[in-house]
Amino acid sequence: MPLGAVIEKELRMFFRYPLRVFSAVLVGIVFLLQFVFFGQAVLGGRYSQLLASSTGIGDYPTYALIGYVLWWLSVSPMEAYVWGIRRELQRGTFETSVAAPIRITELLLGLALSWLLMDSVLMMVVFVFGVLIFHISLSLPVVLKSLPVLLLSFLSFLGFGLIFAGLVMMFKNIGPFAQIFEFSMLFFSGVFFPLNVMPRGVVLFSQIFPLTHSVTAIRAIFTGKTYAEVLPSISWLLILVLFYWITGYALFRWAEKTTRVMGYGGY
Amino acid sequence: MHAIDVRELRKSYPKKIPLPFRKVEWIEAVKGISFRVRKGELFGLLGPNGAGKTTTIKILTTLLEPSGGSAEVLGYDIRKDAREIRKRINLVAEGERTLYWRLSAYENLKYFARIYYVPKNEEKERIEQLLRLVGLWERRNDLVMNYSRGMKQRLAIAKALINDPEVLFLDEPTLGLDVQSAVFVREFIRKLVDEQKKTVLLTTHYMAEAEELCDRIAIIDHGKIIALDTPSGLKRLVKGEDAVQIRVRDLSFQGIKSLPWKLVIVKEDAERGTVTLRGHVSEEDLPKVVESLVKTGAKILSVEQKEPTLEDVFIKLTGRALRD
Ligand SMILES: Nc1ncnc2c1ncn2[C@@H]1O[C@H](COP(=O)(O)OP(=O)(O)O)[C@@H](O)[C@H]1O
Ligand SMILES: [Mg+2]
Repeated sequence: MPLGAVIEKELRMFFRYPLRVFSAVLVGIVFLLQFVFFGQAVLGGRYSQLLASSTGIGDYPTYALIGYVLWWLSVSPMEAYVWGIRRELQRGTFETSVAAPIRITELLLGLALSWLLMDSVLMMVVFVFGVLIFHISLSLPVVLKSLPVLLLSFLSFLGFGLIFAGLVMMFKNIGPFAQIFEFSMLFFSGVFFPLNVMPRGVVLFSQIFPLTHSVTAIRAIFTGKTYAEVLPSISWLLILVLFYWITGYALFRWAEKTTRVMGYGGY
Repeated sequence: MHAIDVRELRKSYPKKIPLPFRKVEWIEAVKGISFRVRKGELFGLLGPNGAGKTTTIKILTTLLEPSGGSAEVLGYDIRKDAREIRKRINLVAEGERTLYWRLSAYENLKYFARIYYVPKNEEKERIEQLLRLVGLWERRNDLVMNYSRGMKQRLAIAKALINDPEVLFLDEPTLGLDVQSAVFVREFIRKLVDEQKKTVLLTTHYMAEAEELCDRIAIIDHGKIIALDTPSGLKRLVKGEDAVQIRVRDLSFQGIKSLPWKLVIVKEDAERGTVTLRGHVSEEDLPKVVESLVKTGAKILSVEQKEPTLEDVFIKLTGRALRD
């Protein structure tokens, strides 16, 4: 299957350099530690009554670890497009692939899926690391129960990323712009501190990020809530999946048409 | 049916991204060209840098949207049937980095075999056969980044054959290659046409390459085709005219402009400070030309009479030299 070929190619290139994989894991861990220790310093300890009352999870490392891992995964498809496509556009390999009869959407999806896969492996390592050093209590049923929500989140992240696929083809260098988005999600989606300390406008605005709902749902499941109890978040995710896939796809089609007028080259 | 049928094809590039409601200026790169390539023909687009060769190839391989005119490849419309065309053609794009340098030759071909829908049961055999054909089988597991320029190009050609295409587009296939690799590539292309009955459209700005290789040549300049014929047919345009090549030192450019004969610079050797001029000068005029050049202060190093080549055709048609 051509989609499989794209994924295989990407994974091969990524795992070809063990040192790069190792450094990616290291960056993931260092970033996490920094945030957790900073948060604990601010809270004056590991447990926070405020956190518990507003989010249901009072244990800061657990709270931050979930948020952090999901944030990393949520920007993965976006990064695949912003950096992955840009790299291939610059080198000229993008055009070689586009010239093949494979559908361009399949090409892009393959790219995003492979980055998501790589980041999932990466974040699995970081998650396990976090669980061990912060002594986070975990149970298998909870982990299993969060998987379907995680899958739905992935779908929404992929759709969200699609917006950037079109933009990068047209504008080529949108890395800095995308980074603003990534960091605003870090702050506006309740990754390291609860959203309700934010002004109401920000809270409303944050609803458009799939990450916001994904984090809420998975944290709730970790505290033992049922699917029925997290239904609002899941409904939001479903709506956003539809919304981003449709808008992302339409935007992408338009960008593709424009690109075929301008040329895929580095101009 | 022709393999390629191009009618009044035009292409303008926007200077800025053409967003809705934004006024943009357009650069005309291809200005209404028409030509037909027969099945099994090796057809060349010959022209200087910026003539519109790459643009034409990208339109015909459905990578670019034309601004006007129409074209069919194997009977399929380039606008409507892009996917059908893509399945039946392939291309070697311009430049060195058209394949994945961080993959091996084998991995590259495997990837392209899949995205070109090569049947799974033929994949292995086809890849091996192609790698042997271009002489890379022994090095199949090396990363492409460790290949020489010539090896990379041979791999690019193998990739272009992965779907057993009926029509092959080659954009400056010998550009930047060492002499030996260029010879290999040229012979290889000729064999594809002679033995495998492929149709090839190639672009080049090397006169000799076009002349040696192509069944027919379209000379393209500033986005227009200014002549189209077999190499011998094109040379008939300058038949009976004596081509003279004069190598001089210390040439003053003003000096040659004031001469009543059209001489163009075909080569400049900055290191030695020499310039090679070429033009159509009759035997009677030759001493006068030399004399005038000496008067402008140039030192004559050599004067040679040459068989007319495509270079002379280009000079005659455009008044300019087609230089690298
Ligand atoms: N993507 C592009 N955007 C804007 N101008 C372009 C683009 N590609 C080519 N051009 C311009 O179009 C003209 C023809 O270019 P090209 O087709 O690459 O010529 P050739 O391949 O014969 O050297 C040149 O003037 C070039 O600068
Ligand atoms: Mg070119």
